[in-house]
Amino acid sequence: MNFRRCAACALWLWSVSAPADAQVLPSEPITFGDGRVTLGGDISATYGSEDPGFFNYTDYDYSTLRMLRIDIAATISAGDHVAILGEVRTENFSNLLPYALYLRYRPWMDKDVSIAVGRVPPTFGAYPRRSYGADNPLIGYPLGYQYLTTLRPDSLPANADELLRKRGLGWLDRFSIGDQTLDAGVPLASGFRWDTGVQFHAGNDIVKGTVAVTTGTLSNPLFTDDNDGRQFAGRVELHPMPGLIVGGSLSRGAFPTTDAVHAATAKGARDGSFTQSAWGTDVEYSAGYLLMRFESIATRWRLPIVDPIAADLPVSSVSTSVEGRYKILPGLYVAARVDRLVFSDLAGTTQTLPWDANVGRVEVGAGFSLQRNVLLKTSFQHNSRDGGPLSQMENLGAVQLVYWF
Amino acid sequence: MSEGHRGEHRAQRGVAFATCVFVTFVFVCSVFVSSVFVDPAFVSLGARSEVPRNGSIRGRVELRRAPTPVERRPQVAELGSPGARDLPDLLRSVVYLESAPRGAFETTESGRAIMDQRNETFVPHILTITTGTTVDFPNSDRFFHNVFSLSKTKRFDLGRYAAGGSRSVTFDRPGIVRVFCEIHTHMSAFILVFSHPFFALTEPDGRYRIDNVPPGTYSVVAWHEGTATDPKPATIADADAELDFTIK
Repeated sequence: MNFRRCAACALWLWSVSAPADAQVLPSEPITFGDGRVTLGGDISATYGSEDPGFFNYTDYDYSTLRMLRIDIAATISAGDHVAILGEVRTENFSNLLPYALYLRYRPWMDKDVSIAVGRVPPTFGAYPRRSYGADNPLIGYPLGYQYLTTLRPDSLPANADELLRKRGLGWLDRFSIGDQTLDAGVPLASGFRWDTGVQFHAGNDIVKGTVAVTTGTLSNPLFTDDNDGRQFAGRVELHPMPGLIVGGSLSRGAFPTTDAVHAATAKGARDGSFTQSAWGTDVEYSAGYLLMRFESIATRWRLPIVDPIAADLPVSSVSTSVEGRYKILPGLYVAARVDRLVFSDLAGTTQTLPWDANVGRVEVGAGFSLQRNVLLKTSFQHNSRDGGPLSQMENLGAVQLVYWF
Repeated sequence: MSEGHRGEHRAQRGVAFATCVFVTFVFVCSVFVSSVFVDPAFVSLGARSEVPRNGSIRGRVELRRAPTPVERRPQVAELGSPGARDLPDLLRSVVYLESAPRGAFETTESGRAIMDQRNETFVPHILTITTGTTVDFPNSDRFFHNVFSLSKTKRFDLGRYAAGGSRSVTFDRPGIVRVFCEIHTHMSAFILVFSHPFFALTEPDGRYRIDNVPPGTYSVVAWHEGTATDPKPATIADADAELDFTIK
């Protein structure tokens, strides 16, 4: 993490945002081309405790507690029915990545029906739509969308013992089959990359539904396919009354890379369909000054393990997250989130353990609006992990400055 | 002292007393008259037949820039397309006296006004009120809104409430209040709170008229979407004043 850059950006945001009552920074999206092009942005600068236990890392390099994230999104309207949407993102001034780029076609203007083609927004779950700094009441991310498990699509364990030996090392690991480069594992659902494919959406005020066919999987969204499989994902969202949203999601797609599967089968693994399947449910309720959210993801991976104990496959995991936000004064809120990520038991030669170390997090924080679109957040986390060689308990604090337009 | 001298002395005291009463009367009258001519507001309350009548300031505000509504932020992460929404009326400006006549508005009014939330738009987009006015914010949409303002003049947050619901805020200080919806970031409106009644919202073609302005010379300002012109002088004497503005 480049602390100087982060601090400089935070200082700049702070200086231009004062005084609090004046709208110094623009708070509106930038439009040009006769209103056909609209640009919006979300910039967040975060500085917090060191995280030697890698509880908050999104890959080996970046902790969400020490990150400068810049998102620039654009909509280019090509007539009433067609729009091109895109977003580029950089974290700590690293590679500028095309986070999203898709064409959306809306056949009927009076109906909520659309088709999106390209690098499309995640179909699964509720959190990907509010992962931006301004929408996240806290600084950390829900574990299900951020915490790195030990699984990798390109590097596979030969047997249960090898998988168990890596417990708690998802931030940087490798297995004996496939790619031997050290790299980070995957979360249950990626909150930081989008998948590529086709998405169809239809809905009304009460029910909305979305289905998609994409190249990657929930935990490993891709721009170009690395296996022959496709992911099928769907989501249904109910709005039975104002302030209440109930959602259900599912997805299934080929997980390991073709190279990894070939390497495993060459060493004796049975061939077959090696997939990640996931089911999710989410509820959001808001009224007055209160906002509550619940989200749970259950997922399982079927892997080509060379020496499997049949009863132990597939390996599975469940994440559960409950968060709440309450506004206590105009421009001031308090928030909390409780997270739990658990893994299924796996029998090794000598012991039976969860195949990755279970993780828990409690995060409490507060946010204060310096102006409408400049938000100062602070949070405190208590993290715990039931195993692994790294620290199993960490108390972390962080502050974050968010600016959006 | 002889009877004659005593009578002469009594007469002299009577003349002196009468002189004092007369001088005091003249002094009081002069103060009264001067105050009448110094304070135009007093004129309006006083004998109308002896002083100039209240007048009007009218004219036109020309907008040199084409006002455009705030676009939605690019909703790249949303599934589906956003629905249609109403666009705010951005053609209206506000013209007001920068300084009001003294005593023109010493007491606050406890009136009511309405700013509706309709099809993701605040209606009206600009609301002009006097201090002490209570503004109701009904929600006429089928989904939640969350009206708030972080303005120095009035900081408030009404929370989320559904269709049919309404919350209200009393504005007790003069100033400009920018109003937003926390859920729909493209929704915004202005509430201009005045401590006097000498202001006018322009018609869509820019014309305005401020009535019942007491005689005097004033600074007049035109305002549009956060931009105010330099003050222009206007004098109300026997005739109305005409004043045009251009906002670039």
